[in-house]
Amino acid sequence: MPEIATVCPYCGCGCGLYLHVRDGRLIGVSPSRSHPVSQGRLCVKGWHAHEVVDNPNRLTHPLVRREGNLVVASWEEAAEVVANGLSKVLESEGPQAIGVLGSARCTNEDNYVLVRFARGTLRTPNIDCSARVQCVPGPAPTSGGPSLGAGAEEIADLDSADLILLVGSDPTEEHPAVAARVYRARQRGARVVAAAARAHPLARLADVHLPVRPGSEVRWLGSLLHLLLAEQGFAADADMPGLSELRASVAGLRPEDTEAATNVPAEALREVARLYLSSKQVVILYSTGLALSTVAGPALQALGSLAALSSRGGGPEVSVLGLLSRNNLQGCRDMGVAPDSLPGYVPLNDDAAVARFEQAWKCEVAREKGLRAWEMLGRVRAMYVVGDDVTRSLPDADAARRALEALDFLVVQDIFMSPAASMADVVLPAAAFAEREGTWTNLERRVQGIRKAVAPPGEAREDWRIVADVSRAMGKPLPYESAKQIFEEIADLASIYAGIAYPPAAVNGGIRWPTPEGRKAGETVAGSGEAEVTALSAEALKGPGARAETNEEYPLLLAADPTLRPWDGEVTVCHTLTSAGEFAVVARDYPDGMLCLNPEDAKRFGVRGGRPARVVSPKGESQMQVRVTEEAPEGIALVPYNQAMHSGLMEISTDPETGRPVLAPTPILVGPVQ
Amino acid sequence: MTARMLPGNKIDEFAVRLMRSAEVVAPRRVGEEDVFYGAIASPDEIAWDYGTAVEPLKRFLLPQREPILRFSTNGRIRVGAEYDEQQRVFLGVRCCDVTGVAVLDAMYGGDTVDPYYMSRRERSTFIALTCQQPEPHCFCVCGDAGPFLEGGYDQQWTALPEGMLVEIGSAAGEALVRDNEDLFAEAEVDQVAARYRLAREAEQKFGEFKSYIAGAMRKLSMNEVAPAVWEQAADRCMECGGCTYLCPTCSCFTVTDRMAGQDGVRERHWDACLYSCYAREASGHNPRPEREDRLRARFFHKISHQWAVRNGRQACVGCGRCVLGCMGWAHTPAVSEGIRRGVMT
Amino acid sequence: MNNPYLPKLATIQKVKVETYDTTTFTLRLDDSGERKAFEYRPGQFVELSVFGAGEAPFCISSSAHGRDDFDLSVRKVGRVTGVLHEMGEGGQVGIRGPLGNCFPFEEVKGKHILFVGGGIGLFPLRPQIQDVYRERAQFASVTVLYGARTPEDLVYQDELEQWQQQEGMTCLLTVDTAADGWSGNVGVVGSLLPKVSIDVSNAVAFVCGPPIMIRFVVQDLSGMGFGDDAIITTLERHMRCGIGKCNHCMIGDKWVCKDGPVFSYREMRAMAEFEE
Repeated sequence: MPEIATVCPYCGCGCGLYLHVRDGRLIGVSPSRSHPVSQGRLCVKGWHAHEVVDNPNRLTHPLVRREGNLVVASWEEAAEVVANGLSKVLESEGPQAIGVLGSARCTNEDNYVLVRFARGTLRTPNIDCSARVQCVPGPAPTSGGPSLGAGAEEIADLDSADLILLVGSDPTEEHPAVAARVYRARQRGARVVAAAARAHPLARLADVHLPVRPGSEVRWLGSLLHLLLAEQGFAADADMPGLSELRASVAGLRPEDTEAATNVPAEALREVARLYLSSKQVVILYSTGLALSTVAGPALQALGSLAALSSRGGGPEVSVLGLLSRNNLQGCRDMGVAPDSLPGYVPLNDDAAVARFEQAWKCEVAREKGLRAWEMLGRVRAMYVVGDDVTRSLPDADAARRALEALDFLVVQDIFMSPAASMADVVLPAAAFAEREGTWTNLERRVQGIRKAVAPPGEAREDWRIVADVSRAMGKPLPYESAKQIFEEIADLASIYAGIAYPPAAVNGGIRWPTPEGRKAGETVAGSGEAEVTALSAEALKGPGARAETNEEYPLLLAADPTLRPWDGEVTVCHTLTSAGEFAVVARDYPDGMLCLNPEDAKRFGVRGGRPARVVSPKGESQMQVRVTEEAPEGIALVPYNQAMHSGLMEISTDPETGRPVLAPTPILVGPVQ
Repeated sequence: MTARMLPGNKIDEFAVRLMRSAEVVAPRRVGEEDVFYGAIASPDEIAWDYGTAVEPLKRFLLPQREPILRFSTNGRIRVGAEYDEQQRVFLGVRCCDVTGVAVLDAMYGGDTVDPYYMSRRERSTFIALTCQQPEPHCFCVCGDAGPFLEGGYDQQWTALPEGMLVEIGSAAGEALVRDNEDLFAEAEVDQVAARYRLAREAEQKFGEFKSYIAGAMRKLSMNEVAPAVWEQAADRCMECGGCTYLCPTCSCFTVTDRMAGQDGVRERHWDACLYSCYAREASGHNPRPEREDRLRARFFHKISHQWAVRNGRQACVGCGRCVLGCMGWAHTPAVSEGIRRGVMT
Repeated sequence: MNNPYLPKLATIQKVKVETYDTTTFTLRLDDSGERKAFEYRPGQFVELSVFGAGEAPFCISSSAHGRDDFDLSVRKVGRVTGVLHEMGEGGQVGIRGPLGNCFPFEEVKGKHILFVGGGIGLFPLRPQIQDVYRERAQFASVTVLYGARTPEDLVYQDELEQWQQQEGMTCLLTVDTAADGWSGNVGVVGSLLPKVSIDVSNAVAFVCGPPIMIRFVVQDLSGMGFGDDAIITTLERHMRCGIGKCNHCMIGDKWVCKDGPVFSYREMRAMAEFEE
């Protein structure tokens, strides 16, 4: 029973685990005690990671749509059909009419080859990953640079923190390995502050829980900054760029005055300020709960200002750790699965750097800025989608589905028949994580090798190999034979990965980029510029606006909580089963989703736990199963974000800078089903 | 006590001879510093110097996933079963883990024998290695399962400077000495005395998680646990299943059918009583809807007097793997202390 | 080695639709030797395999007297029952059992026997009702109280009619919500209890139904003077293995599958979870 060391395929933590194999089948999983992230622990998903691989519902053969039905085809046929379909669109509409989506689940090598395929073979700049809508936009707070989270922060910072601030993060649901460290920090005496509308378990255990009203994230942070700067005599460095503007923007935000808008009691906020100032080492964790807020960008700026003030003003040492949702969302970005850069965050206007890629790839590279994932929908005529499903990841799921339906040509590579795959003209079966080699990069930039333990089912193969086959069928072969070869090319061209030898062994936690060798490049990318602070925008301080106000007709606020059941509906987790294969490892007690209501609200609106309720908003009407729980604050109904996307109830707000769509808090009426 | 000496320079030879007729499962280093019990190809692989293996012996007797039936629905249905008949010697495994097997024996034996378990169990021989340096998570002293055992093994070895002091605990253990008589020497009186001295010393080396179980057992069994303790434990549990999967004695399973064409296999899989769907009935009714209900059920099974009587001993052996594997802070020592004090820290 | 997980093959002899979501399947073991050895008592259950879909526990809902086949009445609620409901006569399934303990019979002779069933809770009571009635002279009286949500939900309708007319037996029906054409009682099954006049000091009640109904009926019976030992029920749990190994049906220090499924109210009270 040999143990094969690899990495867990679900969240961004990147836990080390061992796979057990017998007779060519995966029969179990063990944790790794020596792995620096998991330290001998696994969450429920990790413990069942073999189930997603050894699953009877896997895609096993290429499928091509003929007379409306997907039928089995050979790889040659399928590649030919894809090549013809894409070529037709290229000829008639040009490369801008094709969109390519990479995957936060797939390896760096898959994504790198896909970028080459998109920008080189297809010559389209439209390459992105829909999970980026769930990942943290805007500046990485401590570095002030682009959105990399590429500071020195790491999960291990929690081990020495004396104050941990969870801002819109419930790691017990989203990042269990991080939660494990928070529990342990708490046991050794670290203080915990949780800012989130939902009273999740760590919020209930926290020293202070700030029950922040969704949409008012900037406002309470503004109040905190005001407290520190104006009341608590925080010794800010007066020469700091932007300080006076910041001061002015938060002036007058006394906690007593923001209490009504934020639901944060003034005294609780004062306590947080006191804890902050009496701490030596603070770790701030944020995740989708903040990143998918309507005011995510400004909120992150506010956190950045808080950290920068500290670093220059003799305050506590602050690490801000953005927790990415998927196993390789970091790597997906590193590989340039983005409309505005090449692998390694090489800017498209850096002629010398782009030339290096063109030389290596022996082709011209599409140098324009392309469309983001959500911009592609409705604008492109054909899509090539790898391990992604916009009907599950973009806020307006129904619009995404309609956009896919309207395409002239859709190709989907996946390991299961996802909703997007079921709409495709060609479905290409990919190898799962335990069936291939390659690397993933976790949320603290550990590049870790995954290993092949079993053969893929049927004719499934690595994503990069499929892409290379398609490229060959289009007359542009990509000369790759192994993950190693691809990785070495990455390390050569994307200097942030320089100095990492393949394979970076998962059992040690791999190698964090940048290595000393790659540091210079990494620093350039991360922007190790001067710490600076920014004024909070008046717009963001106001919050989501009048559309999110309750009224007589719609007396309750519905908020989509991305930290609640973040894995519901996700295609791999849906197929990671437990208890006799009847239930996915998560969402077992409310398999059809849930509307979390405070007991008072349930009583007020006459609905009962475990029963369906009728939910009406200005946008539409739906039925949801009620879960009565103290986790939901009075006056605010919470639903998992993944469920809200499909509910047809939510207002969708658009980020002014990026056009990123976000579900906004929406007033609703709840009542029993007649 | 019947004891012999296996001189240091004969240990490998003994292991090689064991390997001729059985799969020898021993602690060995995997990856960086992880120690797993696993089949060895050479005695060189054995990591004699280790604390707690990442996992107990359960996986060898009760795999995480195993076929229990094969059937064919082609025409009239045919049903058949197969059993693992591999002879195994577990060499150098920890006392707590050997004791864990005794609990599994009670659960999987009894008046209705589980044939898949028993087929493996009957072909297994256990050579325990006493523990002279407990790790911080260890509390076998309050699980009555170590660091040295008074019985329940086939052989128990204690590492002395000159070799292994071998205590014989069963006819099977005796046979292994008899068949390899040329390798063994007589045990001197002072060698036997050293074993008892080492046992006493080891017992003094335990860390923070000592002896909470007895107090917790009394309160649990008398239904005197403050309800708040379960609610507090629920906030510290993430339902990962790690405590049950890593536990030497947790052995709940679930069963599922899988088809490949007309051939089917019925497999059983580890299950965990903390999962919210665990007791859910087909109708959707869940008798233990809240996590605190499930925690209470788990600890009642693990350390109540009632179950200790049914199983012949308490189910917790104090290996401390739940301490290592808990994503939150709801492992056995933490909850036992919470039960005892009426509040979780 | 005797393998308790190995199902005996059986063939569906008859399919009788009871209600919109319940059906009675008459099964006969294929092997004549196994048929002979298959001895069961009212209250016992079997694990039924629908090969490919899985296995699920069902109480045997017919008396063993004079039959070499047996009935399983099944409500369509999950995967196994879903596939089973699509199978017809001649379909092959697997049977493990009989499993579990049984209702007391000899011990309750000479007493007034009261059956209280709710919804599909009549399934496990039916064989006991049949056996008791067969030896009617041995018992002081026999009363069956049965309630369902609506008239549509009443199971064993032919038999209910027969029981209502049969001499030496009182059978009262009720529904929670009446429908057109229903002229009988309306109300929960507990509302029939005041109509029962028996000497509770020499009576035993067999109660079966959904958990909420059991709770209230047991309260009422206690109020009437039934002792904790004189109230008997069968518990339904997620019994996966049926032999006390998998632990899914555990309540406190009992396995429902092995120590039950028949328990007296006294035993249930001792189970930590019953109060939940």
